[in-house]
Amino acid sequence: MAKESETSKRKADIKVVIIGDACVGKTTFIKRYIEGQFTENTETLGACFYLKQWGPHNIAIWDTAGEERFSGLNSFYCREASAAIVAYDITNPESFQRLHERYIPLLESAKDDCLLCVTGMKLDLEPSAKFRVPSSEAEDFSARLNFDRYKNQDRYRKPFFETSSLTGEGVNEVFEFIFKTLLTNGKPLAPQKSLVDLEKTPQPREKPACC
Amino acid sequence: MSVKAFELVPAVERLKLLGDKTKTSIECIECSGKNLYIGTSDCFVIHYLMEEVTQSNGKVTYISEKQNHKHLALRKPIRQLKAASALARILVLCDNVLSLLNMFNLEPILSGAKAKGITSFTVNDNPRHGDAFSIEIATCAKKRAVQVYVVTEDKITFIKEVAIPELPMNLAVDGFCMCVAMETQYILVNYETGAVRDLYPVSSQERAPFVRRIGKEFVLPGPGIGVFVTPAAISERPPIKWAEDVHGVGFSYPYIVAMDSEFLTIHSILDQKQKQTIPFQNGSIIGDFEGKIFVASSKDVYGLIPLPVEKQMFMHIQQQGGFIKFGEHQLIEAKEMFKGGKLDVRELICLFPNLLPSSSDFTRAVPFLHDYADINQIVQGNPERLQECRAFLLDYLEEIRGSESSAGSRMEIDTALLKLYASSNPKKLNEFLASENYCSLSDSLETLNAHKCYHAQGILYRIHGDYEKALNIWMRIQDEELKDPSFPGLEYIIQFLAKLSDHELVWRHVEWCLQKDPELTVKIFTERPEDEPPTERMRPDTIIDYLHAYPTAVIRYLEHLVFQRKLEKESYHTHLAVLYLNEVLKLRENQSTQGHVLNLARTKLRHMLQQSNLYRVQVILSKVKETDMYAECAILYGKLEEHDKALRIIVHKLQDYGAAENYCDINSSGRDLTYRRRLYQILLGVYLDPMEGKKDSLLAPAISLLNSETADFDTVRVLQLIPENWSIGLVKQFLRHSVENNMHLARTRKIQNSLSRNENLQVKYQMMKQRREPVYLSEERLCQVCNRNFVEPKFVRYPNGVITHTYCARNKTICPVTGKLFSVTKET
Ligand SMILES: Nc1nc2c(ncn2[C@@H]2O[C@H](COP(=O)(O)OP(=O)(O)OP(=O)(O)O)[C@@H](O)[C@H]2O)c(=O)[nH]1
Ligand SMILES: [Mg+2]
Repeated sequence: MAKESETSKRKADIKVVIIGDACVGKTTFIKRYIEGQFTENTETLGACFYLKQWGPHNIAIWDTAGEERFSGLNSFYCREASAAIVAYDITNPESFQRLHERYIPLLESAKDDCLLCVTGMKLDLEPSAKFRVPSSEAEDFSARLNFDRYKNQDRYRKPFFETSSLTGEGVNEVFEFIFKTLLTNGKPLAPQKSLVDLEKTPQPREKPACC
Repeated sequence: MSVKAFELVPAVERLKLLGDKTKTSIECIECSGKNLYIGTSDCFVIHYLMEEVTQSNGKVTYISEKQNHKHLALRKPIRQLKAASALARILVLCDNVLSLLNMFNLEPILSGAKAKGITSFTVNDNPRHGDAFSIEIATCAKKRAVQVYVVTEDKITFIKEVAIPELPMNLAVDGFCMCVAMETQYILVNYETGAVRDLYPVSSQERAPFVRRIGKEFVLPGPGIGVFVTPAAISERPPIKWAEDVHGVGFSYPYIVAMDSEFLTIHSILDQKQKQTIPFQNGSIIGDFEGKIFVASSKDVYGLIPLPVEKQMFMHIQQQGGFIKFGEHQLIEAKEMFKGGKLDVRELICLFPNLLPSSSDFTRAVPFLHDYADINQIVQGNPERLQECRAFLLDYLEEIRGSESSAGSRMEIDTALLKLYASSNPKKLNEFLASENYCSLSDSLETLNAHKCYHAQGILYRIHGDYEKALNIWMRIQDEELKDPSFPGLEYIIQFLAKLSDHELVWRHVEWCLQKDPELTVKIFTERPEDEPPTERMRPDTIIDYLHAYPTAVIRYLEHLVFQRKLEKESYHTHLAVLYLNEVLKLRENQSTQGHVLNLARTKLRHMLQQSNLYRVQVILSKVKETDMYAECAILYGKLEEHDKALRIIVHKLQDYGAAENYCDINSSGRDLTYRRRLYQILLGVYLDPMEGKKDSLLAPAISLLNSETADFDTVRVLQLIPENWSIGLVKQFLRHSVENNMHLARTRKIQNSLSRNENLQVKYQMMKQRREPVYLSEERLCQVCNRNFVEPKFVRYPNGVITHTYCARNKTICPVTGKLFSVTKET
């Protein structure tokens, strides 16, 4: 009687992972995107998984744990990723330093042409913070990480973002950028049929056949 | 949802199992059909027949009867047992040797069926070769390798070996893919190609790393979690959270049971959530055998019995009953039964054509709960009944919405509700959409379009974060391109833009709003959320520049900056003052302007000129001077502290003597008495100025000023100013008042003086008393600066009692310990 309602078993077209130091706000960021609101989360254990539909595409989004004891597992969860959101806390320069030292090496196991989006979190805290990771530094970092991808282009939009999960600023843009870059060659999503085809009468739903 | 999926039931009574052999413990178990085999630490294999009995109350128990036992005479524990029922054999692993026993009489098969150097093994349930009369096993060798053997009735044949980097500890196999736990690393081995892939490191806490096959995946432990791995060496499911010390798992679809030293925890692989916890102390063995899970501690064996299905059956029957009642149009009974049976509400929704969203992955439960094709078959074309059924559904959905049991079908419930509201209750629709919901976007948009609920479409877009589309629709409604009477109007759009954090999007719509209503549009900028971080795009200067073409809007915005936000920036204040002034000038030019309109504008201007100290006075003054706006002129001179000019205007041009006195009062507020006196003096001077010719007419205001309660004067200077020819009578009151005041002042001062002297005396007395106290200098006494003894009678004492060496007292006015400063006064 029970029916498998697992989302994870639907085949995903691409895999996106988010990596970065503990507490930079990775889980909050993903949930902001999926649920459209700011949530309070406990420390992620191991990893977490979300499936998102973008037009006709299924996208698997993996949230990893920043806590050091999970670092062995992270490179496993990054395997075959097509894109990685490389997250740091704008108000915590140390979390930015660590990207290079600890988190970028995890992406060895990702796809060779993995798109790396350097993404600053907690932009809303910036006005009250003592220190701030300079945008230019992070932007340069993003250009270096994606050198191979863009080496034949002199002008391109750098895969660098500054976001706040609290206000929602910039969150959707990161994902739109990734999906457009990887799935539609930079073009916006073509509108779905059902949105424009108002004339057509809906097909009567077929009764599922008994097996 | 937490469920009670299993119950723990003893499989073999302890007494029957080990008798009184206290040192013996259970090492491994195996179950095949009704046969239960137990391997012990002292090298016995024991065989039971085990019967599952369901008692009249529905409880399940085991009755087991010992059949036989066999001692293998190796003085080593039995490590592993595995029944191969097709071959009527049991595989036994003991002392690193794998051998075969007859499954029923436990007699060893002596035809040389042996394999050596094996530390553990597992049967490949999904072999790629072989037939019904052989089984394939994968083994961990006692060296750095994993191996494959084929076992037949009388032979164990070596097939293949794959070298791996470390000693294998445990393994699981599916097809060609072996998942192997080594000492420090988990790996996948394809024994066909020999390829080895790293998974992740074994964390140091894990006592004995293990791997387990679950369907087409493997599950293995990570730090406090269970990790799923597919043969492609990736994960397709999030990990399960479990205890740090889990040392074995069993699987019975859809549940994974994890064993740690205190509990069995039961998780569903469908949602990775924990469903049930069963306390179980010192569990050491867990295994699933043909879908049944057994667990053992060192002395006991238990079965995990899935809870009776009657309960589930009963719910199924209730659901069916609900549909029968529903078909008979007995809606109240139907609802009770649906609820009692915890009906998956999508079964009900899908009866109504087009209510189930196309993105739903729902399929009807099999066997079907009812035979109705759809709702039309039930109501048989009766429109009233159809209406009642729709109302019933609406009511039912509203009731169960948000309940725990409906969590899995939120999207379907909300989308159905939206469709029902759209066709019956547009007002409720907007309310419903404005609160949190899970409506499917594409389906809902279609429905809303069909019902012309355009405003609702906008709300839906907003909820899904597509603000651009939302705005587009609302603007089209406002422009009356689309008709929707439920739309609240321009203010709604403005409010939305005021809250929108995407500033780029905001700016793209400002122009459109300005054309509709400039003053209302300013709210986009004045009602921004307080916690919004400042950005370049929302800088006041940028905004002012943009609003430039709409003076009323600029005024509104500047008023907000100057009066509400109290920004102290010269340019805003000057700008606002200039705009006010221009407004007044424009009104004055226009002949038809009504008096009170002009007055209001001038009042605003004067208020601004008077209240603010930040605008550039000269700029305003140069324009005002060319007009006859004397009141404004006076205020401006006042700001420049040209009081004489200001007062002359008030007195001579406006002839408003009250205002003149008031001027002195306002402009001296916050200043000292001399300043105040000077202002009144100037005013008196203006009144009495002989040059102006009309001095007589100003006599009365001069006298009244002198006698005023609020005015302040320096009497001497007033007397110098008063003309000789005035009679005493005229200034009598002023003089008396001055004398009285001065007397009063003098007396008060005297009292103050005496009180202070008294206080001074008391302080002196205290000081004398303090100084009289002797200072005892003994050997124990230490200098408070250097903490050393005093070796000579000289010392320094500070007024606060701190004692130091003479050479430690560097400055006699500053205490070296507390830093207190003592004033040096000459004693009188
Ligand atoms: N002000 C503000 N706080 C944030 C933001 N994002 C996250 N936080 C806070 O930062 C803390 C950590 O957030 P998480 O999302 O749990 O961090 P994480 O990176 O997932 O941490 P791990 O799971 O341990 O790796 C929480 O207290 C959040 O409330 C943001 O955009 N603004
Ligand atoms: Mg997290």
